[in-house]
Amino acid sequence: MPDNLSDLSKSATQEINECSSTTELDSLRVKYLGKKGAITIALKSVSSVEPKDRPAYGKKINELKSLIQGTLSQKRASLQKKEINQSIDDKKIDVSLPGRSNFGGHRHPVTKTLLEIEEIFYGAGFAVEDGPEIEDEYHNFTALNIPSNHPARAMHDTFYFNSEFLLRTHTSPIQIRSMEKEGVPIRVIAPGKVYRRDSDITHTPMFHQIEGLVIDKGINFSHLKGILHQFIDTFFEENTEVRFRPSYFPFTEPSAEVDILSKEKNWLEILGCGMVHPKVLENLGINTEIYSGYAFGMGVERLAMLKYGIKDIRSFYENDFNFLNQF
Amino acid sequence: MKLPVKWINESFKKDYSAIELSDLLTLSGIESEIQKSKGEEILDISLTPNRADCFSYKGIVQEVSALDNAKIISVKQALPKIHHNLTMEVDVQSKEDSPVFMTRVIKSINRNAKSPKWLKEKLDQSGYKSINAVVDIANYVMLETGQPLHTYDLKKIKKTILVRRAKKKEAIDILDGSRKILDPNYLVIADVEKPLGIAGIMGSFESGISEHTEDIVLESAYFNFETIMGRARALSLHSEASMRFERGVDPAIQEHAIQRFTNLINEIAGGENGPIHSSINKKEMPKNKFITLRKDKIKQILGITIPNQTVKNILNRLDMEIDEKDFGYIGWSVKAPSYRFDINEECDLIEEISRVYGFENIPERIEQQNTALKTKSLRQIKRERVDSIFHRLGYNEVVNYSFVSPSMNSLSNSDQDMIDLQNPISIEMSVMRNSLWPGLLNNLSHNIKRQNKNIKIFEIGKLFASKNKKPIEKNVIAGLIYGQRRLESWAYQRNSLDFYDLKGHLEDLFNSFELKNITFVSTSHPMLCPGVAAEIKLKNKKIGIIGMLNPELAADMKLDDDAFIFEIDYSSLELPDLRSFVSSEYYPSSRRDLSLMISNEVIIEEILTEIKRLKIKELKDTIIFDLFDKSDGETTQKSISIGLIFQAKSRTLRDAEIDEFISKVIKMLELSFQINIR
Repeated sequence: MPDNLSDLSKSATQEINECSSTTELDSLRVKYLGKKGAITIALKSVSSVEPKDRPAYGKKINELKSLIQGTLSQKRASLQKKEINQSIDDKKIDVSLPGRSNFGGHRHPVTKTLLEIEEIFYGAGFAVEDGPEIEDEYHNFTALNIPSNHPARAMHDTFYFNSEFLLRTHTSPIQIRSMEKEGVPIRVIAPGKVYRRDSDITHTPMFHQIEGLVIDKGINFSHLKGILHQFIDTFFEENTEVRFRPSYFPFTEPSAEVDILSKEKNWLEILGCGMVHPKVLENLGINTEIYSGYAFGMGVERLAMLKYGIKDIRSFYENDFNFLNQF
Repeated sequence: MKLPVKWINESFKKDYSAIELSDLLTLSGIESEIQKSKGEEILDISLTPNRADCFSYKGIVQEVSALDNAKIISVKQALPKIHHNLTMEVDVQSKEDSPVFMTRVIKSINRNAKSPKWLKEKLDQSGYKSINAVVDIANYVMLETGQPLHTYDLKKIKKTILVRRAKKKEAIDILDGSRKILDPNYLVIADVEKPLGIAGIMGSFESGISEHTEDIVLESAYFNFETIMGRARALSLHSEASMRFERGVDPAIQEHAIQRFTNLINEIAGGENGPIHSSINKKEMPKNKFITLRKDKIKQILGITIPNQTVKNILNRLDMEIDEKDFGYIGWSVKAPSYRFDINEECDLIEEISRVYGFENIPERIEQQNTALKTKSLRQIKRERVDSIFHRLGYNEVVNYSFVSPSMNSLSNSDQDMIDLQNPISIEMSVMRNSLWPGLLNNLSHNIKRQNKNIKIFEIGKLFASKNKKPIEKNVIAGLIYGQRRLESWAYQRNSLDFYDLKGHLEDLFNSFELKNITFVSTSHPMLCPGVAAEIKLKNKKIGIIGMLNPELAADMKLDDDAFIFEIDYSSLELPDLRSFVSSEYYPSSRRDLSLMISNEVIIEEILTEIKRLKIKELKDTIIFDLFDKSDGETTQKSISIGLIFQAKSRTLRDAEIDEFISKVIKMLELSFQINIR
């Protein structure tokens, strides 16, 4: 029997050492150490040996078993390493190939600008109000101290549907509607589309406006100057030189246009504003001895053009991807 | 209005530079730009409608004088000689329209006389063409004084000049060659037979002076500005005279203008002057009243206290009369000069003070207000949620005009009245849109032409309709997809976008608003391909529509690929309420798959609905993981494979239970749909 064992030992170590994969190694483990493996059988055959030889024989088998186990685990470690190395080699790719990217879409620059402005004023306590785009004469003109035939109506070039309805020429009617609904004090901005019959490099027949209105006790022109200068600095993200220049709007008095100083040292007009005209307040039954207020209005496209350096206002409405993808 | 700088300087001792003048005027509300013409510096002045008084050389000089506190060099005018007694008979029938109406007959003018160089130059620099001596002088006097003058050929006036309202449908051929039909809304100057001109706007062709005219009638009038306002615009006319009259000319300057004209015509073309004939109706003359100006009110509006002396000084410079007696410490009583129509109320005076005082001298402050911390507005949260879904899916946002061409509108919807603009910019923009689709299709065409082959766009905006002659507006969100599912790449197979891509995008949108009970129901629509169109319903209420662009339209647009479009009511996207979190324990789920052959007529949603109606509460989810047509000429069937996922809340399900659920489902399928399970 000892010869048998030494043969077994020889063949096992040889087979294990010649083995080339972990799967093969697994079957060798079964072959020698499994339930029906050579070592297991050998251990069972101890009973057939002379009793006096049994301890020595048993010891030999166990030595052989641990030899095989040791060889197996050594081999396993080296094979595993080899196999991982192999699989790493197989995984090699060209990292320079472009990835599976998902290009996201873009917000339209008008919306982007509009929401930005909305957010700035919302943060300063202004509520945001909506209103109809098809307006009546009263809310678009009369309530704002622009009676029919007033030369100021020529400044507006209105689109009409009939004698009663028109496309709003500014978002000021939203302010009138808010005051009718909520009364005073009031602190709102009114964003939206407005329409004027005009079309060239600086005018489109539809554009966007944001108007603001504050009416309360003790509101005066210095507050109007303060909030607008702060707004301009916030919007353009830098300290801006600003000037207030007297102007005329039927619904404010005093009225002003606000200019900012460009990098090229030109004054650029960016918005109109003023103290709400007492007639507008009186039309709404507001006591002008107690309340006063300011109002301002700005063209969203104009602000976007200044901020992003867009030259032609019409490009906002072409919706060209080469344009949209830049925002 | 254009004025040469040199001319303005004729009135002052100081020699103003163009920049000084332009800054001075611009910063007090008279916008002026410097232009150069033939070496001369010229101010191009844009007036706001309230500043009628500045619509002349005289007005601008007055303004400069007030702003800079500079004295005007006044030139005395000699009174013209009177050579004869002939006057024109005038009957001002409409007195309230024409409170001042003056005429003078000047005879035997040298009709060959030419305008001198100085006159031609000033007119040229101010943007007027030189025509003949009479017209040039009339224009010059208007420019200098702000008073429009009109000259008639004496021979062409029959008897009397009448100032009256036009008759209904009264026709007049005017100087510019057009014929205008008037009504009593207009004031006319007429003789006993015919209208000679539309008052304050334009004269008739016939009554005007010609190269043969030797005897003229000169008219210098003050018309009530409300009588002229808007009338020129209504007739599509535009004249230097009407612009001045509708803003209001100085009611005290008519005589000065007539004398100035007479002196100039005598100097240039001779002529024999008659006396001035005046019809003045004092009762109808505009009169400036004393206005109370309170110091408190100045402070309330401007936020600063301006010293009394400064206020008085400003008012004096503006030629205002000040009466202090009545008011002591409260304020003043102030009356504006005749040419300042715009000063009627206390706020008008405050504006005057503020602009002369200088807006730059009013400090910037921030008002106190009750501030409260707050999050974003619901409106913003909703908008950001919608945008984030579509941006992530690669959609660009577009913004289109609200008006479209009538043909596109009628395509998209036929059950609403159209809203037509009375005065559109073009036929392409003449009707308010009743769908956002025409705009999106335009954007598609535009971008395909620019070689963008994969298009995903969306727009949020209003639709318009009318009902019982009242406009209706509705906010919607619409979108379009076209081209490849993925950008062309080594990493993907080429696959065109299809209906289920778009439907999936909308499902993402609805999920982000946690909208339950959304169904898609087959429908038809003229812009959509029959069989590939669905109404989108929320709890059985229609909220939108989705489908493939009708192949006929696609062919018209020369599209290579199918386009898919949707439109849904923006208000149907409501932000979900905040709910409390429900904690749950995990128990393993089990999945069983069923493969069935069904008739092509059966809509899969029906099967899923019937399964749901079995109310197996352990059924967590269903997945349709395989689907193909088995149509072979005779039978039109499809094979579908459904995965059913079961999971209980508080325990692991036993196989026997799941078997029971499955046999329930199979029994129902056999009964309701005559389906055999493969």
